[in-house]
Amino acid sequence: MPAEPGTDRALERRSSYRLTDPGLSELPLEELLAELLVRVQEALEVDTVAILLHDAESKQLVARAAKGIEEEVEQGVRIPVGRGFAGRIAAERVPIFIADVDHADVLNPILREKGIASLLGVPLIVEGELIGVLHVGSLTPRMFGQDDLAVLQMAAARAAPAIEHARLYAELEHEHGVSMVLQRSLLPKRLAEVVGVSVAARYLPAREEVGGDWYDVIELPRGRVGVVIGDVVGHGIGAAALMGRLRTALHSYAIEGHGPGRTLELVDRFVQSLGESAMATAAYAVFDTYTSSLQYATAGHLPPVVISESGTRVLEVTPAPPLGAFPYGRCPEHELSLQSGEMLFLYTDGLVERRGVPLNDGIEALATAVHGARTPEGACAFAVRRLVPPEGLRDDVAIVALRNTPVPAELHVTLPAEPKTLAHVRRMLRRWLNERGAEEGEVAEMTIAVSEACANAIEHAYAPAPATFELHGWARDGEITMTVRDGGRWRAPRGQNRGRGLSIIVAAMDDVQIDRTAEGTELVMRRRIAPK
Amino acid sequence: MSLADVQIMLAASALIAQVTGEIDMSNAEEVGATVIGATPNEADGVILDLSRVDYLDSAGIYVIYGMRASLQARGQVLILVIPPTSPVLDSLRLAGVERPGEVAEAVDEALRMLESRPLQGS
Repeated sequence: MPAEPGTDRALERRSSYRLTDPGLSELPLEELLAELLVRVQEALEVDTVAILLHDAESKQLVARAAKGIEEEVEQGVRIPVGRGFAGRIAAERVPIFIADVDHADVLNPILREKGIASLLGVPLIVEGELIGVLHVGSLTPRMFGQDDLAVLQMAAARAAPAIEHARLYAELEHEHGVSMVLQRSLLPKRLAEVVGVSVAARYLPAREEVGGDWYDVIELPRGRVGVVIGDVVGHGIGAAALMGRLRTALHSYAIEGHGPGRTLELVDRFVQSLGESAMATAAYAVFDTYTSSLQYATAGHLPPVVISESGTRVLEVTPAPPLGAFPYGRCPEHELSLQSGEMLFLYTDGLVERRGVPLNDGIEALATAVHGARTPEGACAFAVRRLVPPEGLRDDVAIVALRNTPVPAELHVTLPAEPKTLAHVRRMLRRWLNERGAEEGEVAEMTIAVSEACANAIEHAYAPAPATFELHGWARDGEITMTVRDGGRWRAPRGQNRGRGLSIIVAAMDDVQIDRTAEGTELVMRRRIAPK
Repeated sequence: MSLADVQIMLAASALIAQVTGEIDMSNAEEVGATVIGATPNEADGVILDLSRVDYLDSAGIYVIYGMRASLQARGQVLILVIPPTSPVLDSLRLAGVERPGEVAEAVDEALRMLESRPLQGS
């Protein structure tokens, strides 16, 4: 190879092969590395090119991209810093030239196996930090000169920041991806379906980072349903993971039957016990579908909102510290009646907080945004459409809405003839009878009677084909009429058990008639209710 | 949410089964089988604590009768715990079963009843 003036030749090569193309730094890491290999190979007319990146934790160089010696990457070659050819380049941060590989300290057997005769390598350094090693090889003995070194160093100098940038970005992307998946998997897969309410929820990630916001809907015993909103302070995988633990903790305390205030207090104790500097805000409400009573409590969280046809109101909350903030934090409970058709709306601060805008204005803007919504889905859609800026959110957002479904004046339902329908029927019935003005004892007795009548219909159902039965109910002049109609032919009650079922119905109602037709059997039950 | 939960505890001479939730034709047999299956032969009896039961239907009453019969066959006794305000009493009253065998108002009362019982024959 003829000797040439180093710098001129190098500059010529640099420009002709676009080794320092600024466009390189825009590429994702894998493409950037692949492109660099090609350009270096062409610029220096070499047989092999390899890039090893420095893993600071293990103090090793990891083969990351290679051309001509792809095995390096495939086999995941790792070279300890300080040892061998690349290791010494990294440790001493100087270029190394090996004219004759056979008689040199080369650690990596692949280089020899490939028949590489000569090697030239340079460190990749960004702002004084070693990030890796770039080396080239020739299968025929070659005296790499000053000009070759200049080209390789130039390539290294321009490539190193691009690699570092792409690597950091890839790490961030990866973390973002992982936390998004984690976040998604920690939120409820589907919302609980509870008789008497309809629910909807949203989780909106922030532009850049995932956060620790969550929502939950929990079916509770005795016709009650719990609604949760929460926000773990902080961002990233850590916040998402803590969110998962807090959601589980709150869910567990809730199904144990604790009220909203006590449930939040127990979650607070749980956060305290973690011994981490963890903190979260949350609101928890329990709605009783039989009585339409709503109990709620908050821990450092923004006040819930109630949406009704007449307008939207922000609920009163007693200020309570966030979960994990102070020992023995107390979360006082509030109670109100969530009227038929009204909606409870819970949200996290990302929905209403805007830079330079007072928080109260943000909450007012939310009240305006959701006004006019008739369903939980509608309320979520209004809030997202009207409050989320087009460029996305700075903070993540969770929202959940629950509506007290209006109770119809008359009951006309067709239900699957399966035993598990009975619990559903009882919840529906207690709500409906309450609304019709029946008092507690009347509700209890009529519920038992109708549940027995439905059990009869379910036993009559033709197996194994899917079957249904009908339940109708209406109130006229202080008298409740309930009918249960099935498609099966009437069978005399069998054994002690079913006889008892019918005697229960007769004992609980004023009048019971059994109509048997070719189409099926209809049980008509009547009972007067005491005027209020 | 499952309709009912059964918590089994072993006292010195009895098995105490506390049921929480609702018992109807969808789960009555399972609840009964769980309690009978957990009862050791050497126990004098079973205390079925219904104080946290919100609903009991005729299928549940039928299963309780069945439990009593199978325990009797093993020389064991069944005592129900039903507090005076329990909704279970509504179902029993409507079914015309005012006293389905031995009934206590609380678990400790049931334990005392069991201890003061005369020993079974032999």
